Amino acid sequence: MKEFDEHFEPLTEAGRADNPFRMPEGYIDSFEDRLMQRIAQEEAAPSERRRPIWSVLKPALTLAAMFALIFGMGYGVLSLTHTLDRGASTGAEGYATVEEQFIKPSSLINYYQMEGQAEEPEEIDEETLVDYLASSLSFADLADIYAQLY
Amino acid sequence: MTDREILALYRKGGRHEAFRLLVQNYKERLYWHIRRMVLDHDDADDCLQNTFLKAWRSLDGFRGDAQLYTWLYRIATNETLSFLSRQQTRGEYTGLDAADRLSSDSWFDGNKLQTALYKAIAKLPPKQKAVFNLRYFEEMPYEKIAAVLETSEGALKASYHHAYEKVKAWVKEEMDAE
Repeated sequence: MKEFDEHFEPLTEAGRADNPFRMPEGYIDSFEDRLMQRIAQEEAAPSERRRPIWSVLKPALTLAAMFALIFGMGYGVLSLTHTLDRGASTGAEGYATVEEQFIKPSSLINYYQMEGQAEEPEEIDEETLVDYLASSLSFADLADIYAQLY
Repeated sequence: MTDREILALYRKGGRHEAFRLLVQNYKERLYWHIRRMVLDHDDADDCLQNTFLKAWRSLDGFRGDAQLYTWLYRIATNETLSFLSRQQTRGEYTGLDAADRLSSDSWFDGNKLQTALYKAIAKLPPKQKAVFNLRYFEEMPYEKIAAVLETSEGALKASYHHAYEKVKAWVKEEMDAE
């Protein structure tokens, strides 16, 4: 490393040229044997410790059962509140349902009833009529009306 | 036997024989790479065994896009970094403690300067330590270090420069203190 400056140069030599670490005698020569032995053990291990099919499938089945339970509960609640039936109706059936359940019993009937009541003539007694005419019309107007009527 | 010949032997069915040759070719340099990171011999042995076990398990999927050399160094470095990370998570002794034990380690014969150097390297963050060691001790080209650590050459150069300056300052501090 040319970039090392003077202060570090002795250290470079000391650090790199002479490896201060040692390993136990025979360690590196026997390494493959120990490693291959470990590999052999590992390869043999799965067959000895093979898990039964039930224990492998158990987590997946538990999850599926929980999902089915939640789905079933949701479906039951919706069925009881008739939400599914209402949601499923389409076309003419749907309009009929809407008309039957929402429009007829409520707003339209009430609307027509109100209109009919408004058109019925209000009964006014004779005294009230005379008072109204006397207060709102002049004598000349009353004379004209009397001439037209009789 | 070259890496290519070893791979050819492996694919022809001589799996155990090919793997044994692979281990013979790389065990020593990977050992030293790991040992300089973890400092302790037993830890280095564990990491080296795990490195080759992982290589054995995934050699079937090795397509040869990278060099075998780079691939093995990558596994060894990742294994060592994971080991150091696990040590820190568990609150076990860190590289700093290990560095302090160097003086009494029967498998370490360093002089004052060498002890100061390894103590300083132990203070570096793990990944920077890997960059420093690969460049400083093994004189690996940046291009190869980039392939091993899967990072850019620019980032590596910056990282090495910072590591170098820190190590130099710490060594000087340690030497001046004595």
